[in-house]
Amino acid sequence: MSNLSLVITAIAGLSAAIAGCALPAKTRVHAAVAFTWGACIAALVGSLTVLHTGHAMVLNSSRILPLTGVTMVLDPLGAVFVVVTAVVAIASTLYWLGYASHGLSTRTASAALPIFVTSMLLVPAAGSVATFLWLWELMALSSLLLVLVDQRRREETRSAAQWYAVMTHVGASAILFALVMLSAHAGNQTFAAIRIHAVHLPAAVRNTAFLLALVGFGSKAGAVPLHVWLPKAHPEAPSPASALMSGAMVNLGIYGIVLVGDRLLGGGPAWWWLTVTAVGVVSALFGALHAATSTDLKRLLAYSTADNMGLVLIGVGASGLFATTGHPAIAAIAMVSALLLTVNHAAFKGSLFLSAGSVQVATGSRDLDGMGGLLRRMPITGAVFLVGGLAIAALPPLNGFVGEWLLFQSLLHGLPTSSTAVAIAVPVGVAALALTGGLTAAAFVKAIGVGFLGRPRSEGAATAHEVPRTMQLGAALLAGACVVLGVVPMIVLPALERATAAAVPGAPAHSLRSSVELRLAGLQGVLAPALLAAGLALAFIAVIAIRRLAQRRSHLRLALRRAEPWGCGRELQTARMQYTATSFAEPLQQVFDDVLRPDRDLNVSHLAESRYYTEKIAYRTSIGDVVEHNVYRPMIGAVNAWGQWARGLQNGSVHRYLAYGLVVLVVILAVIV
Amino acid sequence: MEAMTIRSILQAIVHPRTVTEDLGPPPQVAADVPRLAGSLQLRHVDAGSCNGCELEITSTFGPVYDAERFGARLVASPRHADALLVTGPVTKNMVGPLVKTFEAMPEPRMVIALGDCARDCGVFRGGYGVEGPVGDVLPVDLQVPGCPPNPEAIVRALRGLTGR
Repeated sequence: MSNLSLVITAIAGLSAAIAGCALPAKTRVHAAVAFTWGACIAALVGSLTVLHTGHAMVLNSSRILPLTGVTMVLDPLGAVFVVVTAVVAIASTLYWLGYASHGLSTRTASAALPIFVTSMLLVPAAGSVATFLWLWELMALSSLLLVLVDQRRREETRSAAQWYAVMTHVGASAILFALVMLSAHAGNQTFAAIRIHAVHLPAAVRNTAFLLALVGFGSKAGAVPLHVWLPKAHPEAPSPASALMSGAMVNLGIYGIVLVGDRLLGGGPAWWWLTVTAVGVVSALFGALHAATSTDLKRLLAYSTADNMGLVLIGVGASGLFATTGHPAIAAIAMVSALLLTVNHAAFKGSLFLSAGSVQVATGSRDLDGMGGLLRRMPITGAVFLVGGLAIAALPPLNGFVGEWLLFQSLLHGLPTSSTAVAIAVPVGVAALALTGGLTAAAFVKAIGVGFLGRPRSEGAATAHEVPRTMQLGAALLAGACVVLGVVPMIVLPALERATAAAVPGAPAHSLRSSVELRLAGLQGVLAPALLAAGLALAFIAVIAIRRLAQRRSHLRLALRRAEPWGCGRELQTARMQYTATSFAEPLQQVFDDVLRPDRDLNVSHLAESRYYTEKIAYRTSIGDVVEHNVYRPMIGAVNAWGQWARGLQNGSVHRYLAYGLVVLVVILAVIV
Repeated sequence: MEAMTIRSILQAIVHPRTVTEDLGPPPQVAADVPRLAGSLQLRHVDAGSCNGCELEITSTFGPVYDAERFGARLVASPRHADALLVTGPVTKNMVGPLVKTFEAMPEPRMVIALGDCARDCGVFRGGYGVEGPVGDVLPVDLQVPGCPPNPEAIVRALRGLTGR
């Protein structure tokens, strides 16, 4: 009975794509959105049922795909990811209604977006290698189409799409190798059969499969050094698509790593998980550092995605590590924290990307250095961005705080109990987490302070207007989720515990005891997010009340005089004299100069009459990606050089081609004879 | 000063005392000048001075005269200041910044014209770049005469305001 929801999801998603493709321009988007919501709600109902009962949902059909058939198994672990995807998709498609007029109402886009959503809803439910790869590829291709939407107008979009296409397919082929290898050894391509057989696999096969899966899924999750596509493709994609990519698609990379490492292979040696943790630490630091120094709003958010996925990977790695050292309770808490961080990230990054899209629509630019004063002109979008920014900086009472608190607890409590490797990895993880937290806060102080406060720095920012209601509502929906998850995380924790029980072998059924406050079973850690929120609210109300009272008493009344900002007595103060995103990040850039390697260019031109007088000083600085520059560029260069060399073979002369044929024939004959 | 015995040194460590001569009670100032309760935060603006007054101000807040022991302090922003300490004749270029600085100060606020130039333009009277004395631009509460006024005079004036 219950697999009905998977069928409805698929059918509704397909209908949305057909509607988006076939209907006339006026009704296209509305119909596609309505059908996509149908798919999302069906998936939501199905996965919530799975999470509630704890029983997997199974669908088998040999008629849909030739040769392999379709096997769908939605277990609690997958259901968590389906719920996240569905919620982000509902918000993003709501936003799409208002955004459609900005180049996202073409037939291709209206068909690709529902397919993208539907495939993401179904990927976690895939129960066999063929089904999984089909859906995975569908997701990659439909998102590629969405990245390409603006390609006629912008040169960068094409380049970003190329990077994305190559990286996602390198990843997909790594996943393909890993899964096919496992299924070949198992002799059956369903995940259930692979899981049973995995125990008997030789260590070399297990190791290769895991590392290939880590590369494949890591590239999807934006793990450094496979992240290079992420800060290119996410900013170039239209905002509803970037919210979906950043809020839902990257999560599936995490899902894949947990699926292969924990579910299919049933855990592994400590070095697997140390590798995962190390990748997480590097991604978190690298992403946070670049987010703190980016001046492009959406690029900042994209790097921050790499940062957050790094944190999730630290959680996943720590969970695997504690499971191998025989601490399933702490492993379970680490896994719950990783899942909670994933859920949180979807909520705040979705809202941030959607509101960044609104800013882009309103100002016509993504450059923070040209913004300013947007909070006054776009109050709702600004408030949503503020909530998202506070949440991502992990400030209570919002959701980021609860997730990072849990991760810290699991890491700190894992410390005194185990081997040398853990004893080294865990403090490094904790330190990385702390530094990442600080850098993320700096990044979002910059984004909010420079973008939304102060005075407008450009014509676009000065004439910005609030965007349509549907766009505000779409972004606000996810910001609301941030607040709810922050104040009452208990509503999702039982579900995450079920999912953890499916992923971590030997995990206790209840690793967290929660009513009003959050208690960690077996550890000394208590957090009461609701009380914390209530305390903050009370303090806020108290300050306002005291102010009101003071104003009523005449002798306490605050003498209020409005004066212009103090500018050292300068006669002329312009918006250009404010801190910009670049100048705010400059000290950080100086400190991390060796990691960021910024490209600086200073040009001083003098007057023709005398070299003692400068006519113009031009200063240009840009921060490229070190990994891209030092790893990928040489690789691309080598491929190009090889291609150039091979061109010499093809010079257009028929005689030479005939000679090639003759030589090959002779060689073949010689070999055969 | 009493003889330096080990006992006196230990006593000085346990009960440190201010080592200073007795300066007597603070001087009286005119009744219309606002009196402060022991603390005076000063923002100094050079409105066109020859820097003679600046040297004396530096000396006033240096280790010898140390005006801070009487509660007077130089601060870095008019937002923090109780009083504006103006030196020099007000030049045409400094009229705007001087007024802006005054307006940036919280109320109640005072203006001290330090030196003869600030009081009546001194030797610069009639100069082509000179707008006029400080009193033409801002309401002056206290004047410190001298070209330049010596640190003792400045300390005396500040003590009159802080009452210490």
